[in-house]
Amino acid sequence: MVVVDISELNYTYPAAVTPALNGVSLQVEQGEFLAIVGNNGAGKSTLCYALAGFVPHYFKGRLHGKVLVTGLDTQKVSLGELVIRVGLAFQNPFNQITGAKYTVFEEIAFGLENIGVPREQMWKRIETAMELTGITDLKDRSPYSLSGGQQQRVALASILVMEPKVLVLDEPTSQLDPVGSREVFQVIKEMSERGLTVILVEHKVEWIAQYADRVVALHEGQILIEGKPRDVLTSPLLSERGFGLSRYTMAAREAREGKLWPAGLILPVTLQEAVDGFSRQKK
Amino acid sequence: MSIINSIKKDFTTRTLVLISVAIVINIAVGQLIFTLKLPIYLDSIGTVLVGALAGPWAGALTGALADIIWGLTINPTVFWFFYVAAVIGAMAGIAAKMGVFERSSPRWLSALIGGIFFYGLTLFILSLTSFSREGLIPNAIDLTRQNALVFIIVLFIGLAMGYFFLQKAGYAGFAGLITGVVAAIISAPTAAIVYGGVTGAGTDLLVAAFRASGAGILASTMAQGAVSDPFDKMVSFLIVWLIIQALPARFKAR
Amino acid sequence: MTTSISLYIPGDSGLHRLYPITKLLLALALTLGGFIFPVTWASYVIFLGIILPISIWGGIWKQMVWAVWKIVLPFAISIFLIQGLFWGSGTVLFYIGPLSVEKDGIAFAFASVGRILLVIGSFLMLAMTTRPDLLMNALAKLGIPGAITYIVVTTIQIIPRFQAKAATIIDAQRSRGLKTEGNFLQRARSLTPLVLPLVLSSLVDVEERAIAIEARAFNAPGPKTILIDSVDTQNQRIARYIMVIIIILMIGLRLWWLLTSAN
Repeated sequence: MVVVDISELNYTYPAAVTPALNGVSLQVEQGEFLAIVGNNGAGKSTLCYALAGFVPHYFKGRLHGKVLVTGLDTQKVSLGELVIRVGLAFQNPFNQITGAKYTVFEEIAFGLENIGVPREQMWKRIETAMELTGITDLKDRSPYSLSGGQQQRVALASILVMEPKVLVLDEPTSQLDPVGSREVFQVIKEMSERGLTVILVEHKVEWIAQYADRVVALHEGQILIEGKPRDVLTSPLLSERGFGLSRYTMAAREAREGKLWPAGLILPVTLQEAVDGFSRQKK
Repeated sequence: MSIINSIKKDFTTRTLVLISVAIVINIAVGQLIFTLKLPIYLDSIGTVLVGALAGPWAGALTGALADIIWGLTINPTVFWFFYVAAVIGAMAGIAAKMGVFERSSPRWLSALIGGIFFYGLTLFILSLTSFSREGLIPNAIDLTRQNALVFIIVLFIGLAMGYFFLQKAGYAGFAGLITGVVAAIISAPTAAIVYGGVTGAGTDLLVAAFRASGAGILASTMAQGAVSDPFDKMVSFLIVWLIIQALPARFKAR
Repeated sequence: MTTSISLYIPGDSGLHRLYPITKLLLALALTLGGFIFPVTWASYVIFLGIILPISIWGGIWKQMVWAVWKIVLPFAISIFLIQGLFWGSGTVLFYIGPLSVEKDGIAFAFASVGRILLVIGSFLMLAMTTRPDLLMNALAKLGIPGAITYIVVTTIQIIPRFQAKAATIIDAQRSRGLKTEGNFLQRARSLTPLVLPLVLSSLVDVEERAIAIEARAFNAPGPKTILIDSVDTQNQRIARYIMVIIIILMIGLRLWWLLTSAN
């Protein structure tokens, strides 16, 4: 079942001259794990905003084309109705803490309070969200006393507690250290395995290569290429424009020049594939 | 546009977050000044900024809440002046609607503004104190002649300040000066009634000087305010002018 | 990193557990009482006889007295010096060199200090025993817009972070050669390079934080619910009605005095 249906999306920010997104068409199936890669300024964040309705409701600007999410047309429905169906998380953990609450537990409840969920139902939902993100032991701490990775997981819990149908994440680990990144990726993987539709913008290509069902590469507001991770991430279209290659692919490419990679073997995108390939060459 | 619509237009989610951040800027800059040991308060930068970016209503709310929050967290004495801060924010918003923060003024105009303003201010203070002393409103020409030296010095200070300090921000600086005078006038009654006319800070020496010359409590408080507030607000408006000049276009499209 | 700065001192006393609006009205009524009665010692009586005992009940009397001392002392010194020495009229008590200490001036200073004491004391009594967010929830129930309560609580929480950010900017600029000590001109010049980066980077934060709370349905239509709330009691409701009546009576009394004495 198609849960996201974008057709010919063209959007320009209010103060801008050139469109940030220029004719993007994309469909996402229920339960799919879609990754988005691209250079800075390619339109990745704008696409995320469009999925959750911030484009056009929050940013105003000029939008052409159609964005249907869980069957709703984002231009015809209010932002308040969209955000409970599409959860949105982004880079800066600190800015996602509302500041309105003194404990993690209450922070997570913020969204539920806003949509008017009765108090009795809140407790269970919050506890579930905390378990999913592994932060139950942080529940009485102040959100501002936590590490970046912990704060990001609180942000995720705060969104997941609203039970969205689609989870959109805009570079959620780029401001985190390796430990924090791993914690966040763990949660994302878990949610995807539970059947949530996940759309993730990421630079850490190695991780996408392992877990994403499909990858879309954006460039200058348009879709450059889309398909299976292996096909997209080894495509010269990406490397020509200077993005998308994992460290393993780059290493193997160099190795191939020096005849250290098995001739004819496709380039690796993950660590495992690299190890396999290199050990084969050794023999 | 009706009042309600005018208010609603000022308040988006972005504005609310801006107000919150602006209040913190007030506090952070105020403390920075304190560490730099400069003889100025500069605790309204955020308020003026919101007025400039989001309109008079938002500016007024920022000022009011800023003093209330400052009172709740740092120093309960400022609480009672929330209405003064609200007016400052509102005036900043009105000044912004007149384009004050976007336009540059030629330097000689700034100098002129500085000179005229300081002359007028000195006139105001002196007539205030002599009125309170003798009950008569003195003639401007008489006052000038009697205190000629003071006026000449003040005029020079005003001209220099306008030229070197304000430079191209003449309009903004002028708006700040006016706002400062209004702030001094409306804060004097509260300062006099609740706090006996003093602030516990160095400017109290001014109050002492005015009282020693025979002026009443309210007049002395007002005079003290008139000496320190216009300069303080002028610098605040100047800094906000610099900020607005430095902002990329998309921030101003609100 | 400190989590927030506020005057609130956590505790479980009866005073802490009072409904926030009850405490607010109490502070208001006591403060007005000190201003309305034109007797110098009225404020002192209220402070020592009512506010202090209540603070003891709340278990915060030590912190309150300390805070009051810290805040009121500079005022007291200033007022006694300035209004005492420069009053300019009335009977003189004694001379210090060329300056005269007048009776009316000292009386005025006493009354002023008493009023400040009362204002600060009653306010602290409220602020030290009431969590800001619970106070805001109670105000929201009375009709104060959620926008305002959001601003107050959030601002209090993010102050330490911005102070840290300011410190970082100061360090960064210093390492680039900016002089923040030294003569007046140097210090004044360092103002813009410190303030501008702080404000500009804060404005970027504003955008992200606004989007974040929108994503948490801040503007969702329909009524909101509250997870954690303060407990109100019937007795307190009655007490609040009585306090409102007292406040109105006091204001009326004062206006009546003003009008009759003007004749």
